[in-house]
Amino acid sequence: MNSIEFDHVTKTYRGAEGYRSLRDDVADRFRRRTRKPGSRSAIHALNDVNLEVPVGQALALIGDNGAGKSTALKIISRITYPTSGRVTVRGRVGALIEVGTGLHQELTGRENVNLYGRILGFSGRDIRRRFDEIVDFAGIGAAIDQPVKQYSSGMELRLGFAIAAHLEPDILIVDEAISVGDAGFQYRCVERMSKLVREGRTLLFVTHNLAAVEALCDRTILLASGEIKMDGEPRRVIHEYLRKVHADVTERAGSQVILGPGIEIHEVTLHDSVGRSVTSIRPGDPLTVRIRFRTTAELDSPQFSIGISDPTLGMLTMASMLLDGEDLGRVSGDTWVEVSFDGLPFKPRAYDVVGDVRQNFGRIVDLQRLARFQVEDDAILNGTGTNVVTRSMRGAPVHLPYRWRYPGRESSEDVIVSELIASNE
Amino acid sequence: MSRLAVSRARPQEAPQETVNGAESGRVFELWRYREVLFAFIVRHVKVRYKQAAIGIGWSVLQPLFASLLFALFLGRFAHIGSEGVPYFVFALAGMVLWTFFAASVSSSAESLIRDAAMVRKVYFPRTILPLSAVGAALVDVPAALLVLFGSVLITGGRPSIYWLLVPLPLLLVMLAATSIGMIAAALNVYYRDVRHALPFVLQVLLFASPVVYSLDVVPGRWRGLYEAFNPMAAAIEDMRRLVLHGTQPDWLSNLVALGWLAILVVAGVTVFKALEKDFADRL
Repeated sequence: MNSIEFDHVTKTYRGAEGYRSLRDDVADRFRRRTRKPGSRSAIHALNDVNLEVPVGQALALIGDNGAGKSTALKIISRITYPTSGRVTVRGRVGALIEVGTGLHQELTGRENVNLYGRILGFSGRDIRRRFDEIVDFAGIGAAIDQPVKQYSSGMELRLGFAIAAHLEPDILIVDEAISVGDAGFQYRCVERMSKLVREGRTLLFVTHNLAAVEALCDRTILLASGEIKMDGEPRRVIHEYLRKVHADVTERAGSQVILGPGIEIHEVTLHDSVGRSVTSIRPGDPLTVRIRFRTTAELDSPQFSIGISDPTLGMLTMASMLLDGEDLGRVSGDTWVEVSFDGLPFKPRAYDVVGDVRQNFGRIVDLQRLARFQVEDDAILNGTGTNVVTRSMRGAPVHLPYRWRYPGRESSEDVIVSELIASNE
Repeated sequence: MSRLAVSRARPQEAPQETVNGAESGRVFELWRYREVLFAFIVRHVKVRYKQAAIGIGWSVLQPLFASLLFALFLGRFAHIGSEGVPYFVFALAGMVLWTFFAASVSSSAESLIRDAAMVRKVYFPRTILPLSAVGAALVDVPAALLVLFGSVLITGGRPSIYWLLVPLPLLLVMLAATSIGMIAAALNVYYRDVRHALPFVLQVLLFASPVVYSLDVVPGRWRGLYEAFNPMAAAIEDMRRLVLHGTQPDWLSNLVALGWLAILVVAGVTVFKALEKDFADRL
């Protein structure tokens, strides 16, 4: 049996129009005669989505902002209606929707627990019975009798989750909400969610926390522009999603002429071991960076530095003529310089090639991004570890071979060896 | 601010099937959510008087002061007729109902916007919001009625068995306030103009209703029409007959008013339900 069924669901929002006054609409009514209908830009938050979620499935929706994830959740929890099509939901829905609450600011925590308890379908007696549990989980103590407007945002979030955490929904919907809590709170949320999953309840999880998706869910859907782009095993979908994100940033890093005093860098290209131009390599592959440049006047002893950096973590490695005591001598006109890295022990994701040019110890071209490339590795899909996809694609970027030894794993054939996953066998 | 909301579509035993479709109209679920309605009313009343020093006293003071003012300017200075009872009591009988009506309508009109955060985060029947606004205003009425009864007795009036029929005019006002309030609330989501127009409309309605003057001043041939189209007229007239004069209500005009109100209620619910679908997206 299915918990949730989407039957050709479309949700359209009219284009940005802000607040409208009666005057605007009356004016439009007259104007409409001359305008074609539908000329106002419409946004398809969901576009003809069909989906079945069996009872007990832990499903994650991932995708960029604006892909339609939250809209889907709002339709399931009946906060908003679909423009066309229908959604059937079997069972009680407990939902933590988005950041921002319905907790009433003027009421105390206790009064809010009561109000929400009623909305969620509890009787007065049920609420009283769970009250202590809720206060306990929220960890707000005596503040429960203060107005919510005096709470810190963290307290309010915890109270909101505590109320939801103590229902027994058939379907639990968790939006990005929990990601704004502190680490301890997030841990308890995930713990609570996995408990509900183990109990066989249906989970619908929307998040950018891909590691949690890989750990918790048994199915993942990738949404883009309101459509289901991919549906399947979490690590495959996550891998595809991250690969695409990396490919996008690689593609967007278009080359343009870089100018410095006396120098114009015209082209930076990347090549594999046989000289073919590439934008992606496999882990452990060699990479050659070739720079074509022109001098506007004769240039004396320019020194290049070329490195590879991770956009968030910073520089990973650097080849520097300054340190190596190299320079190009006297150069003029069109010329080139190349550096080859023998093997890059990098995990799959996007990397920047950065570089600068110095002359007489002064920079004539500042350190900047020259190109971008991607390391790709489908082999991680076969990895056995937890969260192997997310961790490989989001965790520490450099992989050096290592071995594990511990009592019982001491002899040489027992030793657990880790090598870069890529294998060209 | 980092907060979160909780929603549960079904408060009953699972698994129940809920359909959320473009065409599927929502049937009346109010009965199932009656406890929620009650909780909203309680919340309303609490919030209203939370930081007010004299709290619920305001619900008495408002009609009282208004009646005193009218008694001074209209009764004493302008010599407006008051059906043989002191003008103050005469006006108070009308003001008690009028205050209830005006408070209900203006509170209903703002109800969806006031709780926009909840409408965007949690499902419950949206009709609960305007209804709870009317319900919360009703809570104020008994205190005001007691003051009215006291004033009648102090000014030499006598208690009557017909005082027990006071719920009848209250019902009329409640129906009128509910339907008008629902329309105003729904329209207010789309056009904030409603917020600005409403005080003016209420003022016009105040003088179009026999609050500060007697129904007798309406010319005979217009009176039927006046009463038929202004349900407040029948209610206020009931109030005066029952409380001030200790006589029966005019049953025929009550029947006409009820018929007219039935149409108004259907219109209110229809408008509200039609606009309801976009509330969460438009708020």
